[in-house]
Amino acid sequence: MLKIFRIIERNTIEKTCLCVRYSSTDSSAEKRDEFRVLNIRKPKGRYQERKQPRTLNILPPRSESMPVDQDWGNVWPGPRSFHPATVPLPVRQGYVEKSGAPPSKYANAELVKIPNFLHLTPPVIERQCNALKQFCTPWPKALDTDEKLEKHFPLQITSSDYCFSSPSIRNPLARIVTLRFKLGSLGLNQRAKDKFLRLVGDRYDEESDSVTIVTDRCPLKKQNYDYALYLLTALYHESYNVEEWENLKTEADMEYYDWLKNKSKATIEKLFGKPHGEIENADVYADSVDKLMNEGENTYTLDKYGEAVRKLLNLPTKIEIK
Amino acid sequence: MYATTTKLLIKNVIKPKLLVQRFSSAPVLLSDKLQKFRTSESNCANHTVDHLGLFYKVPVEDRKHIFTLGGLPKSFDVQTKTFNETCLMIRQPSLDIINCMKNLDFSKPVVRFVLYGEMGSGKSLALAHVLHYAYQNGFLMVHVPWVGLWMRRCKEYSNSETKEGYVDLNLDAAAWLLNFKTQNSHLLTQPDIKTDVEYVWSKREVTPAGSDLLSLVEHGINRVKYASEVIIALAEEIKKLSNKGVVRTLVAVDGYNAFFYPNTRVYTEKKEVVHPQKVTLTEAFMKLTDFDWKNGVAVLTVDEIAIAEEDQTCHLPRYLLRKEGFEHIDPFVPVPVLNYTHKELTSCMDYYRERKWVKDYPGLDEEVEFISNSNPYKLMKVCAPL
Repeated sequence: MLKIFRIIERNTIEKTCLCVRYSSTDSSAEKRDEFRVLNIRKPKGRYQERKQPRTLNILPPRSESMPVDQDWGNVWPGPRSFHPATVPLPVRQGYVEKSGAPPSKYANAELVKIPNFLHLTPPVIERQCNALKQFCTPWPKALDTDEKLEKHFPLQITSSDYCFSSPSIRNPLARIVTLRFKLGSLGLNQRAKDKFLRLVGDRYDEESDSVTIVTDRCPLKKQNYDYALYLLTALYHESYNVEEWENLKTEADMEYYDWLKNKSKATIEKLFGKPHGEIENADVYADSVDKLMNEGENTYTLDKYGEAVRKLLNLPTKIEIK
Repeated sequence: MYATTTKLLIKNVIKPKLLVQRFSSAPVLLSDKLQKFRTSESNCANHTVDHLGLFYKVPVEDRKHIFTLGGLPKSFDVQTKTFNETCLMIRQPSLDIINCMKNLDFSKPVVRFVLYGEMGSGKSLALAHVLHYAYQNGFLMVHVPWVGLWMRRCKEYSNSETKEGYVDLNLDAAAWLLNFKTQNSHLLTQPDIKTDVEYVWSKREVTPAGSDLLSLVEHGINRVKYASEVIIALAEEIKKLSNKGVVRTLVAVDGYNAFFYPNTRVYTEKKEVVHPQKVTLTEAFMKLTDFDWKNGVAVLTVDEIAIAEEDQTCHLPRYLLRKEGFEHIDPFVPVPVLNYTHKELTSCMDYYRERKWVKDYPGLDEEVEFISNSNPYKLMKVCAPL
């Protein structure tokens, strides 16, 4: 058994030795022809030329060649977003790095974002006004103050016209009509005024006493204007209307304290045994109770209330600490 | 070595004069200050603006008469025992009310004064001062020491037998009657103070017309079951007597707003919360604070402490009285009770020093004024451990 193994081993070793011999003869023949050099820099084979970038023939910025006495209105005739080459100003805008200047106007998105008024310089405005002057009539001389204006022209109507070059000359915003007037000019009584204010809601501005009605539900300006006037008429007459259910309003529904409708009035009438009009200092007292209830109680309103009560009941005034 | 260091310490840190003051029991001579914070004028009618901020002594007899069964706040009451005297400071609110009471036209309907102020600003003590004035001037005193005691800490409750849906606070009512009796013992024995109407309590118990007011009160004290009814009857009788001009009445109610605060701690037998207007006692004091009678004056206080803690957000009368309360006593004279002024605080500290309640050292007044924010009650608390 052991012998057999040895024979097989010998045969295989002989065969492999043969192979080695053949291969070694091939490589020795090549080496004889040339000495191969390792070239790292240049790859062997066809050399590819790199594409040269195309150089554009750009003119220098227009702002550099602008004359000093040019007409700016012609350079920048209408509203337009900022362009660095057209504006001859060294403007800078943007986030400032540590100890650096803000970015310059070239390739600066910040300057493009913000709206500019470069088309509305004073000489341009003047020129436009002069051009419009021929279409205007002189201002009436009698209307020299705002009070007179408000008195004779209580309604103020505002709407916008738009003109621009595009396939359609219609602008949907042109239909909106704004009607403004002072509430005082309607001459409503107290009850009607209360109802009017409830009807108009937040369209009333307490500070300027003005009502603003904006109509935009109709497609045309004329229709919206008519609708605004209709609303005004309807509001006026409706606020004078007294519905049956309005009489059901109780004291709990009141939005403010009215002394005349409250128990306080009945109390002092009973106390003095005569109507409140005949009681001395009753009006001061009524006023102080109204204030105490409507403005909320604080030391000031309470003090006023105390003073009024002392006057009403004919008591000595408060002792002041020296 | 040790002795030298102590000597050094004493020399440098503690001045020898101060050491004596702190550690000796020798009385501090304050005779020069005595005139500054005290007045010997114990007749309240003579108190004027010049006495503002000064203390006056309530005589022991008067105190026993008025404040035996309540009227002084607990902590103040304890302090008076410590000080061995009852001294009240003459302050602007009570002086103001007394001044008004002096000039009042008693033929006109009852005037209502309402004392209001922050917690611990001295409303109850202002009321005490007014009560003392009333006692000295022969007023009939209808004084409720603390309404909160009825509505929030009542001793016992039971359904009323005479009135459907009402609740009686029998023990509290009887206790109040006893208080009324002690406060007015000198007046109730007068011959012309008699009842006007006959009261039938049960088959056998009758208070005939023309009997003493004292017998009516004593009936309420002895027959606790009828105490609430007696108080209502008493209120009616007091109003009648005042209208006739037999007596002058002072109605003094501390914590009046508790009559209008709906969340009481009084319950029915089914454990439902009772509205104060459904407590029989309330009716009597509603009648007494109405304006339909004369020859009387009502001094009420409104206090945050008289209502539940969750609603103690504001000390002003309209909030505390609510709508019903405001309408009930309108028109009333609001009298604010403020914190101590600088003069009052100094006077109070001088008084504490004289009573040896606080030790004297420089800068104490300023510090205490700052810590207590000049609030009288807080000042008392701050000074307690000093």
